[in-house]
Amino acid sequence: MYLATVIGQVWATRKETTLSGLRLLVVQPFKRADPDNASTMVAVDTIGANVGERVLVVMGRAARHSIGKGHDIGFQCAIVGVVDGAEIDGKRLGQTAEDDGASST
Amino acid sequence: MFLGKVIGELWSTRKSTDLDGKRLLVIERLAMDPSEAEVTPVVAADPLGADVGEYVVVAFGKAARVAFGGDGDFAFEAAIVGIVDGGHVPSKDWFETYKKAQES
Repeated sequence: MYLATVIGQVWATRKETTLSGLRLLVVQPFKRADPDNASTMVAVDTIGANVGERVLVVMGRAARHSIGKGHDIGFQCAIVGVVDGAEIDGKRLGQTAEDDGASST
Repeated sequence: MFLGKVIGELWSTRKSTDLDGKRLLVIERLAMDPSEAEVTPVVAADPLGADVGEYVVVAFGKAARVAFGGDGDFAFEAAIVGIVDGGHVPSKDWFETYKKAQES
């Protein structure tokens, strides 16, 4: 499970049939240093996340389970939660980068 | 399964119901080379009550699900399965500094 930021959305018409109807978002995993240089991933959105929001991303069986099509699905990365806030290394992270440093949850 | 340090905590309201009531901690894997320590931290569910700054053992996959009382389908795949009291890695001073942090 990883903390990531939604940075965009992706569409595909020709795709694996088990992926039809799924919303695909591009997410960038949180890194403690050099946040702009992080790699990106494509994740199925099961929760209704928006661009800019920090989210929880799971991989593998947990992802297939949360996508909810049994376990037979051609995907292994899913968003299972939108983060309200976090405190890492004593620094406050908000739901979006703009909310960083806010004092209340 | 890896050894890591709890570096933070996070909160979420809009989430999978599988995560309801579970404490989520942000954990950084201990790296042999400090320059490799900038890896993406992992978020793990915590059934044990670890605190920020403590060293923990994190399990993935089925082991993580078993740590939450079964091999059911959960929407997470990382869990804290142990809070480290101490240890010894001859080439590193991880636990020596850890003990000092605990005493102070």
